[in-house]
Amino acid sequence: MITVKNLYHSYSKDDQYAVKDVSFEIKEGEIFGFLGPSGAGKSTTQGILTGLLQLQKGEVNVAGYDVKHIKNVMFNKIGMSFEQSNVYSKMTGRENLAFYRKLFDVETRDPEELLKLVGLSDKGDIKAGDYSKGMKHRLTFARSMINHPTLWFLDEPTTGLDPAIASEIKGIIKEENKKGVTVFLTTHNMYIADELCDRVGFIVDGRLVLIDSPKNLKLQYGEKFIEVEYVAGDEIIKESLSFVNQEDIGRLKIILDTYPIQTMHTKEATLEEIFIKVTGRGLV
Amino acid sequence: MKLWYSFLKELQLSSKSWYFYIEVGMAFVLLLILLIAVPEKSDPRIDEYLYAGDLPQDYVEVIYRSILDEEDEAITPQQVEVQVGDGVYEADLFVTDTRNLYFIQDREALRILAEEDREIAVEILLGSEGDMIYRYYLQGYESQRLKNLYMILHNNLVSPSFIQRHMETQTVKTLEESPVTLNNRENVLPVFLTYNGSLMGLFIIAAYIFLDKQEGIILAYAVTASKVWHYLLSKIGVLMVTMLGTSLILVVPMMGFGVNYLNLFLLVTVSAFAFSSLGLVLTSYYRDMMQSFGVFYILIVFLMIPNISYFTPSWEPQWIHFLPTYHLLEGFKEIILGGDDIRYLLSVSGGYLLCGLVLFWFANHRFKKTLTMG
Repeated sequence: MITVKNLYHSYSKDDQYAVKDVSFEIKEGEIFGFLGPSGAGKSTTQGILTGLLQLQKGEVNVAGYDVKHIKNVMFNKIGMSFEQSNVYSKMTGRENLAFYRKLFDVETRDPEELLKLVGLSDKGDIKAGDYSKGMKHRLTFARSMINHPTLWFLDEPTTGLDPAIASEIKGIIKEENKKGVTVFLTTHNMYIADELCDRVGFIVDGRLVLIDSPKNLKLQYGEKFIEVEYVAGDEIIKESLSFVNQEDIGRLKIILDTYPIQTMHTKEATLEEIFIKVTGRGLV
Repeated sequence: MKLWYSFLKELQLSSKSWYFYIEVGMAFVLLLILLIAVPEKSDPRIDEYLYAGDLPQDYVEVIYRSILDEEDEAITPQQVEVQVGDGVYEADLFVTDTRNLYFIQDREALRILAEEDREIAVEILLGSEGDMIYRYYLQGYESQRLKNLYMILHNNLVSPSFIQRHMETQTVKTLEESPVTLNNRENVLPVFLTYNGSLMGLFIIAAYIFLDKQEGIILAYAVTASKVWHYLLSKIGVLMVTMLGTSLILVVPMMGFGVNYLNLFLLVTVSAFAFSSLGLVLTSYYRDMMQSFGVFYILIVFLMIPNISYFTPSWEPQWIHFLPTYHLLEGFKEIILGGDDIRYLLSVSGGYLLCGLVLFWFANHRFKKTLTMG
């Protein structure tokens, strides 16, 4: 669905690249997470893929279209949810969706259905300018689905939403993906990436340093631990022991044989920990 | 159809924005200024004050008779009172086609009129040989040519018969028989049409675009199957409709059915298109109004320069013809005059259309390149 080869981009049009030699492929029906801290090159890459930024160097094919010679019909297949809500503040939520559906050449979704999907059906007649930040975000998210996109770009889709709404949004993404929609997810939230993505790519300082599935990354880079709490005399002691270290395994056996166990569970490395381990950088 | 939907949406949005009401409100304010503050006809006569109080009565009567003889139609001197400083003075007033001649009875009053009110003042005295001496109170700005003329007239350097003969040999060629003239209000109308249309269009479209940039609307539009030029043209369309509306607010009450509205619509539409496109080009270089303010200010000042030559016809340097508002002013004037010169109107409209198309093409190119800016 997306092919990117040797992509470079410089805002100053010199060798100060915001994106350097980035190459990747995304298959149809996949949820791909593009992860990195602020300023890493996520938005630049996404801007080029969606035609908002001009392709300077490299080859980019999106939904069967060469981005070098972008055509507006391409957007009949694409949905884009922006991180910053961008809706007409003087129009109601319903009017916003009703207007945008007229800008596509394909069958579009009913605004009522979309408003209901994102929990705004009772707020449809309120001006978007009077919406809360979260409501505007949901409206922007709903608008990105209006043309039944087969390729869906989501930029920080759960940012600023309360956990319940964020959970609903994640549910919608999963549902759409089940229907075959390919998702390009840009985020610095490793939890949502871990939960949703089939594969993730780590981008730092404009370079794509790693691509793999969260599971493989954890297997490859994450160390499995057992956290055990046991009673020794009057004290409750907590220890974290590695699965692979022979000394730790021996220690665990001793604890199990000697002390009453209060709690014991396995602990996997998080994507964030792996990101830091691989890139040497945090995500903020 | 997408362009049409965008246009309808823009109309709907503009009707909810302050800028729309500012434009319409300004048109009504300008109309009120025309109707209330600008006199329809101003008195073309110049006030001149003379003092001949020290002359014998016979001399005064000779002067009066010579004034009456100069006029084609019979005029009667009126006894009037003239307010000068804190005092009121009696005067004989002769109202001719070009002048209001006041023969004031008090020399001190004449001095005050010349010195404080900067009026044209002449004192006529009796010379030692029984001749009349004219004492002009000059203000200091009079040209040497005028002073020479006074010297010639009053010192008999050239005989009146010589002047008469010379004038009779002059060839006077009438370029236009009975030319149509505009009254004061009609004369101001082209200025208001030009600047309410072009400059407001330039400014308002910038306001609309910067507002959309602030809300990120352009980005959302750019990822639809609609084209960026649809978005831009729908904005211009709204400006065109608004300019037509505000122009009608000014023209209909002033001119009624006395103008060719087809010509007016044409010129308003193409000029709104061209100036809005110019506004689009400029906004593509800036993020917000604050950043672009300087450029807009300088441009607007330049575009207003033709106003000076419009109201001061003797000052019309060649370079002023290159300012687009010069031809717009002349075009609107032609329409208000009755619109006989269709060729000029069509060439001005064609020029604006062509410039508008080039600017619009460039604006579209710029916007596609700078979508993520702002």
